[in-house]
Amino acid sequence: MFKVGSKLFLGTTGFAAVNLVAYLIFVERLAIGGVALSMLFAALIGVSAAVLMINDGDDETQPRDTALTRASMWPLIAAVGLVLLVLGLVVSQLYFIFGGIVLVAALAEWMVQAWSETASDDPAHNEFARRRLLHPIEFPVIATLGLGVVIFSFSRIMLAISKNAGTVAFMVLSALVLAVGSMFAIRPALKPALVSGICVIGAVGIVAGGIAGTGAGLRPQLAEAAAEDHFSHRECGPEKAKYFDKKAMKTLSLRSNVAAVIELRDGKLTADVYGFTRPQQQVSVPRANPVTFIFRNFDSAERRMVAYLGTAAAAMPVDGEMAGKHGDTNETCTQLIPQGAEQALTITYNKPSIAQDNDKPFTLTVAGLEGQAIEVVVP
Amino acid sequence: MNHRRSTEPHVTRRFSLSRMRRTPLSRAMVRATTAVGAVVGLGSCATNAAQDTWQPKGPNAKMIDDLQQPIFAVAGIIGIIVFAAVSYAIWRFKDRGQPIPEQTHGKPALEITLTVIPALILAVVGVFTFRVIFDLAKTDDTELVINVTGQQWWWEYDYPAQNEWGITQPIITSGQLVMPVGTKVLLRETSRDVIHSYWIPALNGKRDAVPGRIHTLRLEADEPGIYAGQCTEFCGLSHANMRMEAVALSKEDFATWVANQQAAYQSPAEGTLAKEGESVFLNQCVRCHQVDGLKRPDGSLAIAAPDENVWSGAAPNLTNLMTRNTFAGAMFDLLRDACRDDVWNAESAEFGAKYLAGVDEACLNVNDLRAWLRNAPEVKPMYANPALLADTNGKYRGMPNLGLSESDIDKLVAYLLTLK
Repeated sequence: MFKVGSKLFLGTTGFAAVNLVAYLIFVERLAIGGVALSMLFAALIGVSAAVLMINDGDDETQPRDTALTRASMWPLIAAVGLVLLVLGLVVSQLYFIFGGIVLVAALAEWMVQAWSETASDDPAHNEFARRRLLHPIEFPVIATLGLGVVIFSFSRIMLAISKNAGTVAFMVLSALVLAVGSMFAIRPALKPALVSGICVIGAVGIVAGGIAGTGAGLRPQLAEAAAEDHFSHRECGPEKAKYFDKKAMKTLSLRSNVAAVIELRDGKLTADVYGFTRPQQQVSVPRANPVTFIFRNFDSAERRMVAYLGTAAAAMPVDGEMAGKHGDTNETCTQLIPQGAEQALTITYNKPSIAQDNDKPFTLTVAGLEGQAIEVVVP
Repeated sequence: MNHRRSTEPHVTRRFSLSRMRRTPLSRAMVRATTAVGAVVGLGSCATNAAQDTWQPKGPNAKMIDDLQQPIFAVAGIIGIIVFAAVSYAIWRFKDRGQPIPEQTHGKPALEITLTVIPALILAVVGVFTFRVIFDLAKTDDTELVINVTGQQWWWEYDYPAQNEWGITQPIITSGQLVMPVGTKVLLRETSRDVIHSYWIPALNGKRDAVPGRIHTLRLEADEPGIYAGQCTEFCGLSHANMRMEAVALSKEDFATWVANQQAAYQSPAEGTLAKEGESVFLNQCVRCHQVDGLKRPDGSLAIAAPDENVWSGAAPNLTNLMTRNTFAGAMFDLLRDACRDDVWNAESAEFGAKYLAGVDEACLNVNDLRAWLRNAPEVKPMYANPALLADTNGKYRGMPNLGLSESDIDKLVAYLLTLK
């Protein structure tokens, strides 16, 4: 009645039951982990029942293969995964996750290999069965990882070299890819080893370049722009900043997560709030939750919208840096945008409006435009 | 091409359903399935189900009901036909050892018919469904806007300033959504932590509240009353306890409610138990819970800081708490059973007055309120164990055990009763 598969799943079910009981006793009775382990336990009961009912899917009339199994690397890799997993409990969540992935992948490969080696008397057929099952998974995963490493390495190169050199590098690399690809297409009889060798040399070259680029760091212009604080800009006057206001984005695809659209038209600032049929001068937003405002400039001059974030460290822009960090001016703003353009500003107001001075509420204004403001009310 | 039963090994490996059906385990599974089906079937016969989707109480829910009734009938008839056909085929052609019949490569006329008929049915259903979807998505006829924010495990409602309703400053409340009858109300939903879903079955379908997004949902009630709802997106330990109630009042009663919510805070009289409770509140509760207008002994406004203590960044604003009928994410009633039944079962004409009376000492569900204040995580599952908050930087998800003494609880209950 109990065959190899049944024993495996019954054992796993028992192990899950022990884990569940231990978790409930020693960790926390009401934690979400208990719910997850209960569900795992229930799922394993179902799988075990199914395996028992179909008798492991075995046919007893089928002769079993008695040949010795081949040596396998998967136990070794599974052990590495297990070590990383345990190490991750102490050192870092990243190790834990990576170890878990390696462990699960190795166990899956190991199980399929072990199954395939006893599937029939014919080793060639067994190997075919293993490939049939795993190649559709293995190839995309390996290709994704390999391409990811190459693309990441190339991005490091592009960040390290100058803009002009980057243009040249892009052109040279794409020309090389086109030339080599054409050669492969024209001469299909090329030896696979030669094709593989060329691809590996190219990939290794890019990865080596990426390592060198990482070591060299950002090119000076990027480093300078980063120092100007691209995404949490606090110099919110009407004047143009050297990097922050360079090539302002003019249109947005963002439409669904908008607390209000703030429009500047004929020198007047209004708020279009979804659900209200008339323009508003006040916007109510929830406390401690990111909200996004879209600023549309219909004025002929270049304009930027400025959000006043309160007298205390009450609000933070979306990048997470506390407002006020860059000085006394507790505000954030969009880029300068031309007529017809629009930009978004995402802000989290952590304190309610009543925490502010009555004469200095949260506001949205336009730099250089006096007498116009939208009040942001945080109940 | 004729086929005969093969005796080759790969053919004899076939899994036999008929053999499986005879095992004791299979019989047990059939009995269990029948028992579960019977329980579900009988459970659906309840007549006093507050969240029954088949009892619409507003035009939006009626639109859905008008659509689902005929579709359910059509689907039911098709389902019965399909089950009957499949059952007949299983019984008629079950494995009795007979030879495998002649195999043919399809019957185009039959296949086309079986494709076209469902396609036509779905097309007809689709036309009416899309019409309802677009009607339910309309916002240009909105009369009242309410912002709804979900978080583990309660709903916050804030009413932006709308002078036509007498709302001159935003109103913030929780647990119960109060709205005028016969009014097209637009909820602007979002979430502070995970995905929740807002659903008052009697008034409309459900709509997800997603962090970082604003989704809209129309509500409209025909009659004054309380309409129950439930979060319908699994959102953590107390998902099942994340309830809500929509309270529909006549327009006059709604105006009274609005005026009361905007009234200035009244501190309890000196020397009373409630005044001592205010001090306990200032020392303990105001770390997370805001009461608008409450001042510290030095005269400064008491500003709650849930953003520093709670993972979602918010805790229910308790201003005018006793004008609501529920607390703890609408899991518990603030009213004793008899008083609660009196409000819930009131006639339309009397409902507003009974609801607006709020909660007084005689009607207060003091047992649940005291249990909550004594040790909240014990009565509602929450991530509030201080030893297990590493993942949330020490912030609670839900209300922690504050370790209040019975004396403090007496004072707090007396104070909370003044918040009307």
